[in-house]
Amino acid sequence: MTTISSPMMPTNVRAVPPAPPVRRQLVSSAMLGMLIFIAVELMFFSGLISAFTIVKSSAAPGAWPPPGQPRLPVELTAVNSLVLVASGALAWLAWRAFTRRASAPQAARSLLGAAALGAAFVVVQGVEWTRLVGEGLTMRASTYGSFFYMIVGAHALHALAAIAALLWCWRQASVGRLRAPQLGAVLTLWTFVVGLWPVLYVLVYL
Amino acid sequence: MSARRALWWVVATLVVVWAPAALACSVCFDANAERRAAFLGTTIFLTLTPLAFVFAVVWWLRRRARALDAIPPAE
Repeated sequence: MTTISSPMMPTNVRAVPPAPPVRRQLVSSAMLGMLIFIAVELMFFSGLISAFTIVKSSAAPGAWPPPGQPRLPVELTAVNSLVLVASGALAWLAWRAFTRRASAPQAARSLLGAAALGAAFVVVQGVEWTRLVGEGLTMRASTYGSFFYMIVGAHALHALAAIAALLWCWRQASVGRLRAPQLGAVLTLWTFVVGLWPVLYVLVYL
Repeated sequence: MSARRALWWVVATLVVVWAPAALACSVCFDANAERRAAFLGTTIFLTLTPLAFVFAVVWWLRRRARALDAIPPAE
């Protein structure tokens, strides 16, 4: 410890070391990891969207979708898209309930509802794919089929993973062990999955 | 205007006026105008998407940092 002596101060006053600056965590590890993951996935889907756009523009006028291939269920998928958006809204209600009202049971209910609507979206997609495969639209049938299953299938895989994460959050909230950083990271993933879908719908279905 | 700045303007003007179109990718050209537009559009899209993501994250972090700064530190 340094002893300071000066004509203005008593000789026995000791300099107090400055307090270390307070360090606050700006972003949780869970959220940082999720943001990095979403950045990767965003570029993955951007690559698919770009490739699809170029292939679609290369088709002769009137030849997209290719003749002889089944048409995609535009109306049903539009309704299904609303189900997915409703699921996203419920997920954010869960966040509000958890962070503003500190109500874990209410958050758990909203999370379960979000997961159920998300699962309904994937199930309807699966039923439609079964029908399309039966009508001849397969991965190998045409470039159209390849891109359709690749883009929409990749999105469905992400949706399934995010639904599993939502169910995990629901379980944690039910037993009172859910923490805000975990919920924030999972909701960020679900928001990405829900927000990406309308872009894919317009691109692939319309 | 300083000599250095004048030189910079001359060089910039020459580059803009005389530079021919450089096709970085030999297959990114097509006689079909719609396909050329798709190449251009996807190039812009793939360029701006990661930048937009990075800017959005930085903006969000700045907002969070300001919100945290507004909270007085606990004793």
